[in-house]
Amino acid sequence: MDLIKSLLDHINYVGSVTLFVIGLYTVLTHSNLLKKVIGINIMETSIFLFFVSIGYISGGKTPIIYPGTEDVYYVNPLPSTLILTGIVVALSITVYSLSLIMRLYKEYGTLDMDKIMEIRSETQDE
Amino acid sequence: MNSTHYPIIMMLLFLIVGVSNPVIKKKFDNIEKTIIMSTFFIAISLAFYTFIFIKIEGPFFYNFGGWGRKFGIEFAIDGFSSLMSLLIVLLSAVIVWYSFRDIGHEMDDENFISYYTIVFLLIFSMLGITFSNDLFNIYVFMEILSLTSCGIISIKHKKVNFLASFRYLILNTLGSLSFFFGIALLYMVTGHLNIIEMNLAIQQVWQVTPTNILLATGFIFIGLAIKSALFPMHIWLPDAHSSAPSPSSALLSGLVVKVYIFTMAKVIFNVLGKEISQALDIDLFLSIFAAISMVMGSIFAIAQKDIKRMLAYSSVAQIGYMFLGIGIATELGLAAGFFHIFSHALMKSALFLSAGAIIYKKDLRDISKFDGLGYELPISMSVFTIAALGMIGIPGIVGFMSKFYLAEAVILAGKPYFIVVILLSSFLNAIYYLPIIISAFIKKDPDREKLLEFDDIPRSMYTSLIILGFCMVLFGMFPNLLMNTITAVVPTFIN
Repeated sequence: MDLIKSLLDHINYVGSVTLFVIGLYTVLTHSNLLKKVIGINIMETSIFLFFVSIGYISGGKTPIIYPGTEDVYYVNPLPSTLILTGIVVALSITVYSLSLIMRLYKEYGTLDMDKIMEIRSETQDE
Repeated sequence: MNSTHYPIIMMLLFLIVGVSNPVIKKKFDNIEKTIIMSTFFIAISLAFYTFIFIKIEGPFFYNFGGWGRKFGIEFAIDGFSSLMSLLIVLLSAVIVWYSFRDIGHEMDDENFISYYTIVFLLIFSMLGITFSNDLFNIYVFMEILSLTSCGIISIKHKKVNFLASFRYLILNTLGSLSFFFGIALLYMVTGHLNIIEMNLAIQQVWQVTPTNILLATGFIFIGLAIKSALFPMHIWLPDAHSSAPSPSSALLSGLVVKVYIFTMAKVIFNVLGKEISQALDIDLFLSIFAAISMVMGSIFAIAQKDIKRMLAYSSVAQIGYMFLGIGIATELGLAAGFFHIFSHALMKSALFLSAGAIIYKKDLRDISKFDGLGYELPISMSVFTIAALGMIGIPGIVGFMSKFYLAEAVILAGKPYFIVVILLSSFLNAIYYLPIIISAFIKKDPDREKLLEFDDIPRSMYTSLIILGFCMVLFGMFPNLLMNTITAVVPTFIN
């Protein structure tokens, strides 16, 4: 019972780690290049969720200080600002990998990593 | 102007020139070359000035915007970062000087200027990682570095390059994300991202939450090991380094993988501290992986036929030496590891550049066809031979001294069994480097007519090869020139 309660209390951590593993599984097992990129995106999102939920304090308020209010808990704003940078980084990686996939499709005519490796080994044998 | 700003100006110089270059220039001509080389000249003088300034005035911290350590971004300008930034700008200047003629052979004309933009951003991010004292900041620079290092591979528009670049990008991103997750776990415990503040907090809490810190270090270790190609995580490296244009291979193998090792040293010694990392057995794991990497990298290299693939696998083995130096975690061990960073940067870039000269002139990548090449390309093959002998560990060349220091450190640390690994790795190095030297200088090529020809390669290519060859012999004969400086900067990590 304690286990279930502690899992429910930290449901955001559990969720983000689950998403991380799902993303990693997608990247490693799927041979479709686009699915690999989607997996990377899932992993990135899971870490963003984890980082933001570290900064959350239950019952905390938005960190805007109004004069006259004292003894109020504020949510830590630093992780959210860091994640903005992280989202930009994730976007640029997605864009670059998609452009590489376009080039690879033009050269090999397929999006499947296994087939690309087959074509590559055939050309090397010649 | 206040000279504490010089390291930041040096970084901004690369950023501004790199980004504005493709806007103002359309054609790659002599003016463009002058702009690039004068940027390097100014950067080298700034780096050298900072190096001297640190020697006299002592290290200092640079706060952006005056926000202070707890909120803002901080750069640690100390002996270590100033020395390594000097290495980065000097070596990349030599490689870029070489690349002016070589890139014409490797890629399309319209990509020349964008190539230098990517190279400048690459140097910018390497300098950023070296200076930065903030883990999140290091992560951001690391992502710039992984994008640009994939960029200098895929700029050569060939099938192989796109594939190598894509695999490198995916694995690099997995590494970055693993590192990022580790940072998040550390931030959860400590509440800081600054390395010094983190260290203070970890010293207080590490006995309360050892699992969390161990998990975080595990994620960071895996991430950095993927990026610096430690043995089981090296699978991207041979494709990426061998298919890239030769100057890019030299940059990637000589400098980029080293920057992740600096980060590893920062995490182990500055964030966790030596006592805590030894209590968590991190140094033990590092030295075991390093030993496996040293042997397995060399074994894979023996089987290769393509010269650049062989050099790439050799890099995997040499990365092991540097990690072993960090894993021993004594002052001499760390100094030996940093000395090997210097010697490997010189040797591996010389090897890749001379292989590049062979590919430029003869369009030859197969090792079995190297017969009599030493008489057709005497300068390139001589530099190749010096560097290869250094890799094997022949006295008089810089590679011997790094192995010597490492062996001494291993004995003094009371772990003499690593000597066997060092000797085995040197022996394996000899197995794959000596046949090339023998076939190049002793075997006869039946088609050759003249007895000896002078290298018919462009001047910028052989001058940079000669500079690298000279440095290897100079530091091999007088290792104290370098070792004294490196021993002086080790206290940045171990007091």
